Amino acid sequence: MAELSDIANAAIRQEIEEYIERPEEVARIVEMFANARETMQDIAAALIEGEHHTVDALTARALEGGIEALEVMDDGLIAGMAIVGIKFREAFIFVPEVLACARAMKAGMAHIEPILSAAGVEPAGKVIMGTVKGDLHDIGKNLCIMMLRGSGFEVIDLGVDTSEDEFIEAIEDHQAPLVGMSALLTTTMPNMGKTIEAFIDADLRDDVIVIVGGAPVTQEFADDMGADGYGKDALDCVALAKQLIESGR
Amino acid sequence: MARKINPGDYQKRLDRITEIFSDMVVQADEVSRQRCPYRDRFDTCTAAIRCRNQVDRGVDERPRCRHDGRFDYRDAWESNPNQYHRAKEKIRKVKAAAAARRRDPDKSDT
Repeated sequence: MAELSDIANAAIRQEIEEYIERPEEVARIVEMFANARETMQDIAAALIEGEHHTVDALTARALEGGIEALEVMDDGLIAGMAIVGIKFREAFIFVPEVLACARAMKAGMAHIEPILSAAGVEPAGKVIMGTVKGDLHDIGKNLCIMMLRGSGFEVIDLGVDTSEDEFIEAIEDHQAPLVGMSALLTTTMPNMGKTIEAFIDADLRDDVIVIVGGAPVTQEFADDMGADGYGKDALDCVALAKQLIESGR
Repeated sequence: MARKINPGDYQKRLDRITEIFSDMVVQADEVSRQRCPYRDRFDTCTAAIRCRNQVDRGVDERPRCRHDGRFDYRDAWESNPNQYHRAKEKIRKVKAAAAARRRDPDKSDT
């Protein structure tokens, strides 16, 4: 049985000591990291801190050094994210920290994607995501993006306050079959409808599946706007994206 | 340098990531009953929006959140019935104006 002292990375040891309390989880995580290369421990430690530049550099170096992509995922990225999940569950960190860690994970996965592509593994689909014009709220959208990426989707994030033209340009540039729009205010929610109308004007409406979400949005609103789907949360968003892409709408 | 990935093996990793993230999304919803999702572990606000609970701390620093934590943030932005109906009416107008504009492109959108 592995011991905490078998883990080379001091930051990982400290994370386990300070934040993981359940004995079975301690044992599982100690075992996982004790058997991982030091480079993988370094990637995990950087991910836990949300240091995306470090994860980016370490992942690139590991792959260039001949470490298998799946090992990087297992022992670096996923192992790190497992600790993040526990810290979030136990309220040591909160949503902004989780999103920073997800960003770091994306930085690492960016180096793995070309290997996947070369192996013929295609993304589950390509999705454009943005919060509509006039709205600066992004937590819900970012949680959806985190879930979509984690499920194998390629996501083009247009950020907040996204104009109709920015959505249209992104659809044309990326040839994405699915657009997700978010709004958190009743005052900006009608801009989803405006954007869908702009897709019709640009002769793009038949080319894209449109899903909408956000706290004030309901299925009724989605239907009124002419959206193809409504997701009440990030879990719904992924299920909906899979279902609509598979069915072609 | 090894460059092969078995799709089935990769899918297993995605399933594990999805499992971790799904738990996080459920937890995020739970946490939002008492804590603003933009509030980080240092009690600073990470939002790009202005909020009455923000306490400015200086030009280069994020504002501090002074909320007491006794508020369900999941409903924070939900509309009251009047706002709901106003938004619904606005969507109806947007669609009607767009349809009219398409029928007669020479007329401007009012």
